[in-house]
Amino acid sequence: MTTLDRARPAGTPVRAEAWRTRDILVTAVIGVVFGVVFAYWNFIWTVIAPGAIPPLQAFLIYGVWLVPAVLAPVIVRKPGAAVFAEMVAAGVSTIFGSPWGPDVLLSGFVQGAAAELIFAMTLYRNWSLPVLGIAAVASAAAAWIHDWVLYYADADMTLQLIRAVAMAVSALLIVAGGSYLLERSLRRTGVLDGFGSRAA
Amino acid sequence: MSAWLFVPDVGAEQQESVIGRTNPLVKLGIAIVWLLGLGLTVDVRPPLALLAVALASGVWLGAIPQGVLGRRIAPFAVAAVAIAVTNLLFSGHNTDPLATELFRIGPLRVTAEAVAAAAGLGARIAAIVSIGAVFTLTTDVTRLIDSMVQLGRVSPRFAYGALAAYQAVPKIVEDLATLRGARRLRGLREWDPRLLVGLLVRAIRHADQLAIAMDARGFGSGPRTTYRPVAWTQLDAVVAGSAAVILLMALILGR
Amino acid sequence: MSDTEVARADFAGFDGDDASRAVDAGSRIDAAPITAARLGAGIVLQDPASQLVMERVGDDVAFGLENLAWPMATMRARVPDALAAVGLTGFEGRRSTRLSGGEQQRVAIAGVLATRPGLLVLDEPTASLDPYGAAAVFAILTELQSRGEATIVLVEHRATLAWPIADLVLALDDDGRPIAVGAPADVLRRSGKRLEAAGIWLPEGGPGPAVGAAGSVRHPAGALGTFPILELEGVRFGFEPGTPVLRSVDLQVVAGDRIALVGPNGSGKTTLLRLALGLLKPIAGEIRLGGRAPSRLTSLELTRQAGYVVQDPELGFLADSVRQEVELGLDADQVRYAHELCDRLRLPLERFGDASPYRLSGGEQRRLSLVTGLARRPLLLALDEPTYGQDRRGHEALVAALDELVGQGSAMLAATHDERFVRDATDRRVELEDGWVVADDREDVA
Ligand SMILES: Nc1ncnc2c1ncn2[C@@H]1O[C@H](COP(=O)(O)OP(=O)(O)OP(=O)(O)O)[C@@H](O)[C@H]1O
Ligand SMILES: Nc1ncnc2c1ncn2[C@@H]1O[C@H](COP(=O)(O)OP(=O)(O)OP(=O)(O)O)[C@@H](O)[C@H]1O
Ligand SMILES: [Mg+2]
Ligand SMILES: [Mg+2]
Repeated sequence: MTTLDRARPAGTPVRAEAWRTRDILVTAVIGVVFGVVFAYWNFIWTVIAPGAIPPLQAFLIYGVWLVPAVLAPVIVRKPGAAVFAEMVAAGVSTIFGSPWGPDVLLSGFVQGAAAELIFAMTLYRNWSLPVLGIAAVASAAAAWIHDWVLYYADADMTLQLIRAVAMAVSALLIVAGGSYLLERSLRRTGVLDGFGSRAA
Repeated sequence: MSAWLFVPDVGAEQQESVIGRTNPLVKLGIAIVWLLGLGLTVDVRPPLALLAVALASGVWLGAIPQGVLGRRIAPFAVAAVAIAVTNLLFSGHNTDPLATELFRIGPLRVTAEAVAAAAGLGARIAAIVSIGAVFTLTTDVTRLIDSMVQLGRVSPRFAYGALAAYQAVPKIVEDLATLRGARRLRGLREWDPRLLVGLLVRAIRHADQLAIAMDARGFGSGPRTTYRPVAWTQLDAVVAGSAAVILLMALILGR
Repeated sequence: MSDTEVARADFAGFDGDDASRAVDAGSRIDAAPITAARLGAGIVLQDPASQLVMERVGDDVAFGLENLAWPMATMRARVPDALAAVGLTGFEGRRSTRLSGGEQQRVAIAGVLATRPGLLVLDEPTASLDPYGAAAVFAILTELQSRGEATIVLVEHRATLAWPIADLVLALDDDGRPIAVGAPADVLRRSGKRLEAAGIWLPEGGPGPAVGAAGSVRHPAGALGTFPILELEGVRFGFEPGTPVLRSVDLQVVAGDRIALVGPNGSGKTTLLRLALGLLKPIAGEIRLGGRAPSRLTSLELTRQAGYVVQDPELGFLADSVRQEVELGLDADQVRYAHELCDRLRLPLERFGDASPYRLSGGEQRRLSLVTGLARRPLLLALDEPTYGQDRRGHEALVAALDELVGQGSAMLAATHDERFVRDATDRRVELEDGWVVADDREDVA
């Protein structure tokens, strides 16, 4: 929306890194929407969780927890968006209740930070699908290590490798592919007018 | 909205209890430190000890009605069992020739060491769930954010921005129900990834409106004062100290 | 851009001074300490829920004061004052998300007034409110205007409420150009006809024909027989134990019925529609839609029985373009009918087909959602606040389309706050209050 841009005093230079209130709110609200999604997902996971069905399939849905870490930055294109969105989502899902309690905040942080690192390495300039893919896989890798230490500490290498492969596939398809498609659909609707475009 | 998915109602009674009056950052710190402490051991006793402490203090020091606490934790008992089973089936101990074999299921050899570790990891989940439940059922979100800003030096723009966005939860849940209804009435399956587009469009519009309303009220225009001052108290020190002692004792128990 | 849904604005309280001078005056009246760059203007938007920043009412009112760095003691004194000014004394500790829409909107006004702005801008602040809530908001505006502390700029469709408190009216045409500006009485006298022609609502009692497209072709009640489309018997419902939303509702809807479901915010109108459509299941009692329990119907069977036009059109959109939206899930015959509906409702696909439904104006969106609800010629058309945010032409097109549908043997059940819609488009009024049907002009309510 251009009205917000116009509200800025004339002549103020727009620094790409400066967060407008709108950027903050949109990032936060993406986090909140996914926090609600997580609340459902936590439950689905609890029911079909590894153990009930082969882990390969279970971990294929893992990506859903990582989507805000890629979707929010690709929409608002500001440094820190990955961590902020993922932490808000984690906070909301903690409030709803999750099988990982406050650990969700810790997971959210490492997952967001890993994706953030990749976007920072492009200086927040490259938002192509391959970069999204790398960020998604980085985020999944962070989650993989975190979960290994905390939840699969006694499992053997077979399971760790199965987890790694399934989570990487999930990251590429759900996180990178999903974010890419969602962003495209959202741009069409006009709600993202005023946010950096793919061409820019 | 299903009964298992709910935003807790932190009433006056919980907020004025001992745990309720403890600063949210202290509680959060305890929860994270306990969590990391539990990561140090796969013994079943430390998590069970912390689980017991969390539940008991939630009921007696946090004024959480037992039914509410139970309803909050129950759905995730399944998760504890599931994590235990996964670790049991894929335990490194099962293939270790030196480990004591308990029984075999087909090709799978189940060892005593694997059972112990699986029980420990399952108990870890149960403990984490309980700690999280006590935290959320005694913590007012506004106070948590106030503390983060005033004591934790978090940027007020981001903290209050997130808090404002968080107020949209009921609206998002409601929108989701309406979107699903609209899909059903058009002959489409109710659950579909496309729901996210509709939800996000609405949520982003909501964020835009909020941003306009907040900017118009001077948000981020300069230094701000606070209507709800938060300060550290002696209670915070006492609770933090006790929590450290409890964690140490629990870990010693596991030796 | 739409030629029908463009800005129409009424400026009230504008005293002829230019805005910046008015703002200066506002600042001088105010004796409160100035410790930060203060803002001259406050804004209140249409959707009450999207302006609430804090969980509790008192905190929300204080939010603007904190941002302007008011000292603590002054804030403590100011918050109750601001709440008192909107008639919400003692609401400090209430949760804003649990208030009625009308109360939320008053909280939003209090939050804006708290900083004593010189200019108060309101964009359709009562669009989603029931008549009581709307009246309460307008009572506050009248009070503010009479005290003259702030200049008020009000964007509003509800001319009957807005014009009486205005000192100055500005009417815009489809392209945003001013049609007339001046004192309300002058504008009405000089340009009433032109406003009328531009589809702008005029205050009731003004010139021009009463809108009543349906009035002349009204079918006598029950003329199409007594084929029952929807039956509710002793329906009880609540979201949480202990707080019933519907207590015991009986309702018979027959072919040809045009029912207005009215009642205050939160009385359960939307809930009743959802129950009737099988989107919720009653706790007790029986619901039959075309003879069967709606929650048991498959999605496909349901689409033949009922169409649903949700309150906020955006929540009904499922596709990326208007064309896809219109044709979604329809067979060839229905597609033809849908295209015809598009033309009649001034949504020609040649022009709008490729646009994203979300990019249409509010009025265009509403008409699109009607097309999707009507395209299958459902037996029951359930509408939630169909006239929300519509100008007069949108209203008339809607009334005519509904009239035709019901003339073909369907029934219409519309939850609404809009008395004009009740009058023009419906012939049976069912009033809900507190979970009971308190009035039904077809049935005797015990
Ligand atoms: N984001 C957008 N992208 C494209 N067109 C837009 C956008 N927002 C508004 N418009 C168009 O601009 C015109 C004016 O819109 P505006 O919202 O100001 O109307 P309005 O007078 O407030 O209408 P209403 O009475 O329905 O609220 C409309 O034709 C609308 O379709
Ligand atoms: N998902 C929900 N969970 C809990 N309570 C709800 C939910 N949806 C609605 N309610 C409550 O049920 C009551 C009836 O709501 P409903 O939306 O049916 O009212 P309405 O008559 O349509 O009001 P309005 O005129 O504002 O549209 C309200 O008190 C509302 O707060
Ligand atoms: Mg408007
Ligand atoms: Mg309603």
